[in-house]
Amino acid sequence: MMEPRPSVKRRNGMSGTDPEQSTSEPDAGIDGSGREPSERTAEESSARDERAAARPARVAGHSVTVGDLHAYYGATEAVKGISIKFPPNEVTAIIGPSGCGKSTMVRCINRMHEEIPGARAEGKVLLDDQDVYAADIDVTAVRRLIGMVFQKPNPFPTMSIFDNVASGPKLTGNKGENLRERVHKSLRAVGLWGEVKNRLDSPGIGLSGGQQQRLCIARTIAVEPEVILMDEPCSALDPVATLKVEELIEELKEQYTIVIVTHNLQQAARVADSTVFMLDGEVVEHGPTKEIFTNPKDERTERYVTGKFG
Amino acid sequence: MEETRSAYRESLKVLERQTLEALDMVVQALDRALEAVSYQDVELAGMVVADDDRIDGRYLEVHQGILSLLALQTPVATDLRIVAALLHVIRHAERMGDQCVNIAKLLPLSGYEAPKDKDLLDAIERMGQLARSQVSQAKQSFAERNIELAYDLLRQDAEINQLNIDIFNRALAIGDDIETREWAMHMILVARCLERIGDNAVDIGEQTAFVVTGLFREFADASHPAV
Repeated sequence: MMEPRPSVKRRNGMSGTDPEQSTSEPDAGIDGSGREPSERTAEESSARDERAAARPARVAGHSVTVGDLHAYYGATEAVKGISIKFPPNEVTAIIGPSGCGKSTMVRCINRMHEEIPGARAEGKVLLDDQDVYAADIDVTAVRRLIGMVFQKPNPFPTMSIFDNVASGPKLTGNKGENLRERVHKSLRAVGLWGEVKNRLDSPGIGLSGGQQQRLCIARTIAVEPEVILMDEPCSALDPVATLKVEELIEELKEQYTIVIVTHNLQQAARVADSTVFMLDGEVVEHGPTKEIFTNPKDERTERYVTGKFG
Repeated sequence: MEETRSAYRESLKVLERQTLEALDMVVQALDRALEAVSYQDVELAGMVVADDDRIDGRYLEVHQGILSLLALQTPVATDLRIVAALLHVIRHAERMGDQCVNIAKLLPLSGYEAPKDKDLLDAIERMGQLARSQVSQAKQSFAERNIELAYDLLRQDAEINQLNIDIFNRALAIGDDIETREWAMHMILVARCLERIGDNAVDIGEQTAFVVTGLFREFADASHPAV
């Protein structure tokens, strides 16, 4: 089971993706496509194998627990006392109409919300058993352990592909061969290596939208976080790029705990183990994704997923 | 909160209406088949056979409509359960139509003379009325999402099953006249068709329960009788 994790405040180096934490070997026969390995095309298989090789075996992930969380913009209460547990190594999707507080809630998890002038949050957010809102917590360390991917791909515009991914690890003292290795590994893990290996020095913004988003995911995982928050990561991408990112999400949950905010209900249905439906700053229903989309318990969930109100 | 996806809602409603209308067609086919049996009306039986194309056509129409809806509108939640249930219901309607055809095709085989035994014929007619009532009630239970009505189908089905056994026993004891025996043997087959129609109606009731509760379970089947 899970190793006891060192607390956020004492951690100086990188968080551990210690191979000894591995709980199981990845199953070579199961690739999520439901097909036997022999049925995969050579190209598919090599890209997938490359990504798989770049990742360590399954790592026992970390849970995030949100307890009675309230978030405000000035006097407006956007999140009204939410409690959710995000289990380790699972993808949890947050769905709900615009303005229901789902992005705000997610941004409270890695303390991004408080960066907005006038915004504040109350309540508990626990990374395993560590309160990320405790007084002696280093906010930067929290954000390193809880990475975030945004709606629009946002590579650093002046930086090369390599430097975009290297920027995080550099800050934590990685350099030379160690740094290069980490960047290459991250690019392989997001399936971008083959597409960019010959132009690592070109600007990151020269990539296509889908590639840029995968670059941003590579940048996020380069600092080896424990949790990845994704706020509408595919809404600016075309369908093929979207499916690539979704496939990546499925693979990343082997090592990370993933929370994804999405407006695309089919995306939630495709990638999430469990789904949370939010409305007006509250959680209406939280259950296995299959249940939410075949037999929701709450009438409001039913109306939302069937498109009876927009 | 305003209603959205009106075109989608409309097509889902149309599909359900078309499916339930197929059950009305079954009732009509069954009425004619039963009348043909009562009066040994071979001509009317021929009409039942010819008319079954309408039910088959409806089956294809609904099937195609459901595939389109799945592909274009990706229904979920209750809508998804309705769509899945409609696929079953239309299939059962098609099967019941075929059973009416089977009944109709048996008539010319048993000759052109009037029915031979009043007791046996009475039992067949009683069974036919029950089967007809089951089909109507299955339709109503689905249309109204009424689980009570759906469960009640089992009660009627038990009676049909008992009549099926009675008819078999009566036919066994019908006597030595060759023609009467031949007719009686055919009536056993008619009873079998009616019994199957009853089973299909119960299956539709199960679909009603599935749409309402989200859980599918057989009310009863051959290996696990209900009562």
